[in-house]
Amino acid sequence: MMPERLRMALITGATFAVLLVFLVLIGFQVTAAELIGGLLGNGRTTAISGLSGLGLNMLGFFALIGLWAGMSAARRRTPDLWSHALEDAALAGGLAGAVLGLLAYLVARLSAAGVHMSAYLAQLVPSTIALFTLGLPAIRIAVLYFALIALSALLGAVLARGVVRSSWRRTLNDRLGRPLGRSVEMGNRAIRKVTANRVSRYGLYGVLVLLALLLPQRIGPFWNYTLGTVGIYVLLGLGLNVVVGLAGLLDLGYVAFFAIGAYTVALLTAPQPHHLLWSFWVALPIGIGVAALAGVLLGIPVLRLRGDYLAIVTLGFGEILGTLTRSDALVTFTGGPMGVKEVAGPTLFGRAFSSGADYLYLMAIGAVVIIFITMRLQNSRVGRAWVAMREDETVARAMGINTLVQKLLAFGIGAAFAGLGGVFFASRNQFTGPDDFTLMVSINVLCLVIVGGMGNMPGVIAGALVLKGLPEVLRQLEDYRLVAFGALLVVMMVVRPEGILPSRRRRLEVHAGESLPEPEKAGSQSPERATGDDVRA
Amino acid sequence: MTSALETHQLTKTFGGLAAVGRLDLVVPEHRIASVIGPNGAGKTTVFNCVTGFYPVDSGDILFYGRSILGLAPDQITYLGIARTFQNIRLFANMTAIENILVGEHPRLRSMWFEAVFRTPRMRQEERGAVAEANRLLLFVGLGGMGDELARNLPYGAQRRLELARALASQPRLLLLDEPTAGMNPNETREMMRFIQRLRDELGITILLIEHDMRVVMGISEQVTVLDYGLKIAEGTTLEIQHNPRVIEAYLGRGASSGLGEANRVAA
Repeated sequence: MMPERLRMALITGATFAVLLVFLVLIGFQVTAAELIGGLLGNGRTTAISGLSGLGLNMLGFFALIGLWAGMSAARRRTPDLWSHALEDAALAGGLAGAVLGLLAYLVARLSAAGVHMSAYLAQLVPSTIALFTLGLPAIRIAVLYFALIALSALLGAVLARGVVRSSWRRTLNDRLGRPLGRSVEMGNRAIRKVTANRVSRYGLYGVLVLLALLLPQRIGPFWNYTLGTVGIYVLLGLGLNVVVGLAGLLDLGYVAFFAIGAYTVALLTAPQPHHLLWSFWVALPIGIGVAALAGVLLGIPVLRLRGDYLAIVTLGFGEILGTLTRSDALVTFTGGPMGVKEVAGPTLFGRAFSSGADYLYLMAIGAVVIIFITMRLQNSRVGRAWVAMREDETVARAMGINTLVQKLLAFGIGAAFAGLGGVFFASRNQFTGPDDFTLMVSINVLCLVIVGGMGNMPGVIAGALVLKGLPEVLRQLEDYRLVAFGALLVVMMVVRPEGILPSRRRRLEVHAGESLPEPEKAGSQSPERATGDDVRA
Repeated sequence: MTSALETHQLTKTFGGLAAVGRLDLVVPEHRIASVIGPNGAGKTTVFNCVTGFYPVDSGDILFYGRSILGLAPDQITYLGIARTFQNIRLFANMTAIENILVGEHPRLRSMWFEAVFRTPRMRQEERGAVAEANRLLLFVGLGGMGDELARNLPYGAQRRLELARALASQPRLLLLDEPTAGMNPNETREMMRFIQRLRDELGITILLIEHDMRVVMGISEQVTVLDYGLKIAEGTTLEIQHNPRVIEAYLGRGASSGLGEANRVAA
């Protein structure tokens, strides 16, 4: 019987072997190599030139995975011996390397035999194969990969056992980690101190506003445009946060209100198809109002439904609206599949908003207004009713809450925020068309609300930055965006289901039944003394 | 004497099964009345009909002489009927004070736009609401626990918080569904005293469902016995204790002859 330790090492090796094969079969190593090239600045060398540039980057990528394999194989066990760590890593790395080598051998042989593998595996096109095999003969490339993975795994074990677990780490921690933690703590305390005082709090806000004013002037058009896209999704996310996060209504057709806002401003300001040519500033409140009205009107029939049923109905509504805008029947009214061109942008004191920076300002103002309104609502009778409804709708009704009215309110306000996003979106792009409003938009917004932290506005903003900002920055990953997106969602929901920055309530909800944090000390009670007699007074 | 609650020939069936059949029930104002009966007798169904959660098949329900038939649960609460639930149903992830503030919902008037602009009226109302919530917390003996999450409170405290939440709407009629379920004898005695105080000090009419006969016999002035949805007896505690049909319903046919035995159970 093989010792448990070696069996575990083999399992680790097999896992990494599967991972490596999977990555090669989807052709990810090419993307990774290009990405590394982009980071190092040597990415644009030709792909089929042996070990130069891209090939080296790809080997580096595989070596990183080998390193990872070695580190995870050399996990801490008792007794924590050097020999054990190296043995485990060699076993895991050897297995993973052998499998990768075998794959390379097969690919090289088949390619040499003239088999067109791309007919079966779309990613195995000749250029990818050439990069993967580095133009070497089958035996040599197999040995190369085996050696590469095995050696990097050993290196990983050395790192894991030698650096991460030895006294080095403690030293590193003392020199770096502790002061870092302390400074974070100090920063937190400073922020608390600053926000506790009224004057310094407004001072801080002032600095933030100043930063928001200066930043778009500094960072250039690419970042302004990217942040603008993020900004649209921040507006959408904040709106959906009211509907899903606060009132607990699962709306999968949220894109409809976004579309209504966009189309309203487009149809009112564009020369085609209606030639109304209204000013943006007039169209803005109308767009918000129409979206809110649509939210309420849709809400009246559907909000009697609960949970899953509501989700399906709203999903259908979103799809109907998309189909309508695309249909020929409404061509004269909405421009049909061609969309609406030359949507007007805002002008202020004779100056036209044209750059990404201008829209960034506009969106920042919009977001601040939305945050302000939401915060005020959250801490009011309405906000409490929403949360109560989310917690237990039946009991909320028994408490005298007219749940239909409260749901309509949440739906209408959420729709109004989406409408605002739509107005900015159409006006920034100077165009709007049916293809902008797909189911993916609804799903994206829902994802960023969930990943960011439902019911918590900083969380929603963080979610928008992560889910919309990162893909924009990682343009090279284009093909894998959805894979990465899905993987992120899965990992996120497993590791941190409450979201990046959850609201306190949400965190408790998700971790119900686990050991609770020390309940916060009961705060100051109002000093009124009361007896039963004046309860009804 | 005015009656707080009256049902006339109230009938509710679930797919052919009569959960409540032709029930006539009168609860005079300022009275503590109980509904008892074996499991599945239709007691909670009566509550759900009165509070508007179930549509009634036939019959009428009057609250202070006014028919509340067909009204939604929130409208009925608005009129002045509050309830608690058999299995505690607090808003678990809200604090104690927030729970009570939700209970105050029907009494508060401020609209959403007032909340956005924080009008003076809204601010004044909020201050009053919080003060009232704190008063209620003290009244049910949970003073100082306002910022605890409802889920973190001990069982007995959760029951009392649920009561405070029901009281927050300032009801005239309070429906309590097994208020002492799961309580130890001490807590039960305390709850009984508390229910009497609600009637004596606040003038609330109380209708309660209870299984614990010590509670029923200890505080009710009127007992209605349901069995298979039908009223089989009504009267004072003493009358009920000696009613052969009640004993039969609880203990089965044959036991009704052994009154003494039944009395021991009932007491």
